[in-house]
Amino acid sequence: MLRRTLLLGLCRGPLGRGLGTHRGGSILDRDGKMSEIKKKIQSILPGGDWNPLYDTSHLPPESSDVVIVGGGVLGLSVAYWLKKLEKPRGAIRVLVVERDHTYSRASTVLSVGGIRQQFSVPENVQLSLFSIDFLRNINEYLAVADDPPLDIQFNPSGYLLLASEKGAAIMENNVKVQRQEGAKVCLMSPEQLRNKFPWINTEGVALASYGMEHEGWFDPWCLLQGLRRKVQSMGVLFCRGEVTRFMSSSNLMKTASGEEVNLKRIHEVHVKIDQSLEYQPVECAIVINAAGAWSGQVAELAGIGKGPPGTLQGTKLPVELRKRYVYLWHCPQGPGLETPFVIDPSGTYFRREGLGHNYLGGCSPTEEEEPDPGNLEVDHDFFQDRVWPPLAQRVPAFETLKVRSAWAGYYDYNTFDQNGVVGPHPLVINMYFATGFSGHGLQQAPAVGRAVAEMVLEGHFQTINLSSFLFSRFYSGEKVQEHNII
Amino acid sequence: MLKIIIPTAMLMPMTWLSKPNMIWINSTTYSLLISLISLPYLNQLGDNSLNLSLLFFSDSLSAPLLVLTTWLLPLMLMASQSHLSKETLARKKLYITMLIILQLLLIMTFTATELIMFYILFEATLIPTLIIITRWGNQTERLNAGLYFLFYTLMGSLPLLVALLYIQNTTGTLNFLIIQYWAKPISATWSNIFLWLACMMAFMVKMPLYGLHLWLPKAHVEAPIAGSMVLAAVLLKLGGYGMMRITILLNPMTNQMAYPFMMLSLWGMVMTSSICLRQTDLKSLIAYSSVSHMALVIVAVLIQTPWSYMGATALMIAHGLTSSMLFCLANSNYERVHSRTMILARGLQTILPLMAAWWLLASLANLALPPTINLIGELFVVMASFSWSNMTIVLMGTNIIITALYTLYMLTTTQRGKYTHHIKNINPSFTRENALMALHLLPLLLLSLNPKIVLG
Repeated sequence: MLRRTLLLGLCRGPLGRGLGTHRGGSILDRDGKMSEIKKKIQSILPGGDWNPLYDTSHLPPESSDVVIVGGGVLGLSVAYWLKKLEKPRGAIRVLVVERDHTYSRASTVLSVGGIRQQFSVPENVQLSLFSIDFLRNINEYLAVADDPPLDIQFNPSGYLLLASEKGAAIMENNVKVQRQEGAKVCLMSPEQLRNKFPWINTEGVALASYGMEHEGWFDPWCLLQGLRRKVQSMGVLFCRGEVTRFMSSSNLMKTASGEEVNLKRIHEVHVKIDQSLEYQPVECAIVINAAGAWSGQVAELAGIGKGPPGTLQGTKLPVELRKRYVYLWHCPQGPGLETPFVIDPSGTYFRREGLGHNYLGGCSPTEEEEPDPGNLEVDHDFFQDRVWPPLAQRVPAFETLKVRSAWAGYYDYNTFDQNGVVGPHPLVINMYFATGFSGHGLQQAPAVGRAVAEMVLEGHFQTINLSSFLFSRFYSGEKVQEHNII
Repeated sequence: MLKIIIPTAMLMPMTWLSKPNMIWINSTTYSLLISLISLPYLNQLGDNSLNLSLLFFSDSLSAPLLVLTTWLLPLMLMASQSHLSKETLARKKLYITMLIILQLLLIMTFTATELIMFYILFEATLIPTLIIITRWGNQTERLNAGLYFLFYTLMGSLPLLVALLYIQNTTGTLNFLIIQYWAKPISATWSNIFLWLACMMAFMVKMPLYGLHLWLPKAHVEAPIAGSMVLAAVLLKLGGYGMMRITILLNPMTNQMAYPFMMLSLWGMVMTSSICLRQTDLKSLIAYSSVSHMALVIVAVLIQTPWSYMGATALMIAHGLTSSMLFCLANSNYERVHSRTMILARGLQTILPLMAAWWLLASLANLALPPTINLIGELFVVMASFSWSNMTIVLMGTNIIITALYTLYMLTTTQRGKYTHHIKNINPSFTRENALMALHLLPLLLLSLNPKIVLG
């Protein structure tokens, strides 16, 4: 009231002399000081969160029960299931720390987005089966009041894995395992292939397995945003920062066999804010490592792998960055709408993208020609030399394709056996892993999230038994080798 | 009385002048000695009070509370050792000094003769508590908690000052011993209604009464362990003690005026117990259970029968010891797991069996198991309120059941079941912690052998 009269009194001045040339605001607000004072008063009034010391709204909270390092699809999935499976609602405070809030280098959004059940390890098949059920009913799982339903654009076109003479027997075995778990896969001979897919050149193909249901591809960005939205509505806090340090306390204990081990427990996580030297120590009870391709670095921060090699102390987390290229090309004479996700025996793969004769595809390089993972630059010669020839040989129509664009993304590659690492670390007691899926993390994310949440809340896996995916297999040497890795 | 006050005051220079590795030992042992000095005050003779000086006195109501206060200081010091270990030396000494100042003020409050002196010290105890909560608390919310705590109590007690000054002017004295003979019955005029409200509101907020209890969960959860202990054990009892003293002046209007507060307390008792069933934060659960127990004391004091007063005093002492012990147990959990959520630290019985024994005993005391004085207090209050009105037995009975429910819920969630993977390497119980729990429990069990001492 007083301010208004003051304004009126003072504004009459310049108005009398002619219209002022300053935009908006009153003459009192010329330096912006008035709005600052108003903001200060508003923050002090009850109802606002006023901190008399300094503004900490950009920092994560000082303590959180669970800190999830990494905000990709795996991290968000763990957060979602933790909040969904906790018995009393609102019991656990979860903080998700993600240093790249545009997800520009995250594996999730750079992924090709396929989902299949055609794995050789039965647990992988079970994981994918649950995940497809999750994706099919995504609007029941991830519904948020007043928000539009999600459309993940699932194309149920199936996967077509081709095998040469050498791999035919393995493929038959794999299909038997998949059928046992409940996947609907059929085996096709070369004639059946030619009948069903006339555009395919079956030279060198002895057997093919075609997933008839629950396989295809979807939009990973939509899944990520849906999870993010839902998880925020459930009360999970997000923080944009990087984990730089773990403060832990250790105990020297003796195992049953008399061996001395050093059990550590992380009690504080230092989260550094982007482009600033500020960091916030977050007191936590549980840390979940879902940092994707950078999980190895995060594990090293926690002291995993610091010890004489060959001991449990010295076993590192064998997850590293591997760069993979994806190319998008246009081919007007290419295969039609029923094209599945085709995987050639040579490792080259492609799938249809959209309805305009565009196709996505690529190939995993061999160990010798691994590109340098320092940046996400695309090597177009790789396409010319390694991807195009097998493609053109398999699908003759692809001899006349035109590459539209390409991108590169990281695999969180598990150098041990290319399968995920799930569950707690035996020595760093309160660090749980949900990483290392080497290219099939996106499709198994909902199921893995549930498994990790069960492990945290109950202490053992309840629905899908992933005990063969625990960290201890790196020490004992039991590989769970997945053969169908693209 | 000086023989308690001077040593307590001298604890401060002793802390500041001790060698760094002796501060905890010195302060704990000497405060234990002081508590032993205060024990003879429990030997009260008959109805009269022990008049010690012009300023201080103690009678069978204030003596148990005095002993509780002095007993609690060494326990608070023992409990704070771990979380202060990382602070600088000056900060540690400052913390201990705050506790000692609080102790001093509380001792003087419980033994004050003049009501104005009682009031001044009552307000003065807010300051060290506020400093402890806001400076050494755990989360950023502690500033909010401190604000709530300070202003709720201040707003409630400002009218009390006015009322006390008015009574001083009309009656000529506020010396407690004289006024109990001089008080005239007051009639139910409007100004007397406000007088009654002014006198009682401060203590209602402090107790806390159900509608004004908002500051308690916040303050308890954010306070460090010593702050929680002293809040739960002693500061809440200040409200009860003050109410008992001041109702002498307010007869017979209390009969009519008490109705709304009785209703609030009875209903609030059941409500806060039910809230406890839904709590996920351990300290928050214990804080709400404090509100529930204190509501019983409010009911007892407002009824004003001899049996209800006996029940109220017994309940205050019992609840002080039990609540403080539960907070210590919750803190021992928190120091290991760094989280107060109950479901994240389960199955502790397999890993820390002795601590599980303390948990069991504390929980059994909390749910008023015979023959502890918790039961005696509750039973006397229930009986007195039944004779006041038959219908209250329904609410009281519901409260007792729900108390048992949430206490057992707390016990089974933290102790029983399979332990979670991430608590496998927690430190075993320290001797200090075991000693702390034993020292809490020992008076409680000994009092069940001779409850006459605390039945004012």
